[in-house]
Amino acid sequence: MKRIRNFVKNTFKDVPKETRAELIEQVTQTLVEKVEDLQEHGLTLDEAVNKTVIEFGTAEDYFASLDKAPNFFGRIKSIRQYRNDLLFSIFGALIIIGMLVFSNLYYTPDLIWFVLPALAVLWWPLAVLYHFLNKKDKLEGDDEDE
Amino acid sequence: MIHSDLIRGHLESVILKLILEQDRYGYEIANCIKERTDDRFSIKEATLYSIVNRLEKRSLIESYIGEKTHGKKRRYYKITTLGRAYFETKKEEWQELREILDTLLEETS
Repeated sequence: MKRIRNFVKNTFKDVPKETRAELIEQVTQTLVEKVEDLQEHGLTLDEAVNKTVIEFGTAEDYFASLDKAPNFFGRIKSIRQYRNDLLFSIFGALIIIGMLVFSNLYYTPDLIWFVLPALAVLWWPLAVLYHFLNKKDKLEGDDEDE
Repeated sequence: MIHSDLIRGHLESVILKLILEQDRYGYEIANCIKERTDDRFSIKEATLYSIVNRLEKRSLIESYIGEKTHGKKRRYYKITTLGRAYFETKKEEWQELREILDTLLEETS
């Protein structure tokens, strides 16, 4: 029966901590019951354990039947997070470029040099925008698939 | 062999029905489904047990430790009043769905 417990533990090792122990306990009990039943029907312990493990399936099968609601909320959050990232990078870049312009005009008004560092700084929000658009396309694509 | 996606939405009702007939333990439910459908529909046991757990969390069924033969312990599930009511609604829903599908898919003669 230790094999069953190890199998169940291994199957659900990625489940969040709060629910894991209870889940493992319940599933282990059910599977142990099955092994005992199979043994009553004439299988050896090894055969019974093997059959039980094979017929159980995977953690994906276990969670396949669950509602998709948590995923849905997760998705909204991630789009919003990407948008926040984008806003942060835009404001950050604006502040840096503003300071560059200010120090350029204040200290060396005869030489315009702020354009080059400003261009470099611009890559930051551009990269974030690229990620954001990609992510948005992908998530909206998922919606159409469903 | 019926793909499990097709029947997944109705598994709750199937399990409730089996427990309604008599108190059963986890593997017994899986076995019952297998026997009654002549292996034409096989469901991953993982999926089945997760639904059973969920039904219990929603108080549609409740479990108790009972004894089978030779004093071996089993966690039996029995249906609650709420579960019965839920099953009745689900059954009506299913009958309606069946009528609709019949109307739509039957060949018109």
